[in-house]
Amino acid sequence: MARMKFLCDADRCIECNACVTACKNEHEVPWGINRRRVVTINDGKPGERSVSMACMHCTDAPCAAVCPVSCFYTTVDAVVLHSKDLCIGCGYCFYACPFGAPQYPKVGNFGSRGKMDKCTYCAGGPEADFSTAEYEKYGRNRLAEGKLPLCAEMCSTKSLLAGDGDIIASIYKERVMKRGYGSGAWGWKTAYKETINV
Amino acid sequence: MTESDQKRDTQVMDRRSFFRAGGGVAVSAAAAVLPTQDAEASESREERLKARYRESEHVKAFYRVNRY
Repeated sequence: MARMKFLCDADRCIECNACVTACKNEHEVPWGINRRRVVTINDGKPGERSVSMACMHCTDAPCAAVCPVSCFYTTVDAVVLHSKDLCIGCGYCFYACPFGAPQYPKVGNFGSRGKMDKCTYCAGGPEADFSTAEYEKYGRNRLAEGKLPLCAEMCSTKSLLAGDGDIIASIYKERVMKRGYGSGAWGWKTAYKETINV
Repeated sequence: MTESDQKRDTQVMDRRSFFRAGGGVAVSAAAAVLPTQDAEASESREERLKARYRESEHVKAFYRVNRY
């Protein structure tokens, strides 16, 4: 069974932020929330690296482990999704996530945050596929349409890879064999508890 | 209490019956809203977890161009 994964080839990322913009547009993500963001390390210095980050859909997701209402579930495709109907906006998942993926739409009095929002791997949510309710709460369900996350599909330098973990790992391996290891596949070890033999 | 006062009490709705009537209106309003919530029912557990990924032509093209 294919396991869905993201892989950001940091040697190729040019910090154009097109993945961030495409995601926001595709899912009509509310103001103040970025399901994906580009993080630049050593900005303006030698060795500068940019990495496109979102929910990595971890194998043993820490967000799910700490959720007091168990609103998270992992699909057969290994995509970590959540139910906004169950979410109480407590913020525990935000503190547990090593990637800072969970986002909240509100900053209210007494710590009220609203329902958590995060990357869905373009796989919708617990509502019926292609329904209006699913689109309004979670965005488009591209995976059910036979497509992959838009952020990866429209990456101009093919830095961001998405899809079957085995296939994208082999694509990355081919690249590394040609050009050398470079900065590595950032975040893989944390998310998937694997060593990358490339 | 005069006879006219007693007559007025029976005609005008008192405080308790006013709120009782108001509660009835609220219940019927809630009942009117409920069917729309049912219409957007969530998927079953099996439906939620089922695999949606498939290696369509679109996905194969994505893998192919990423090897360039």
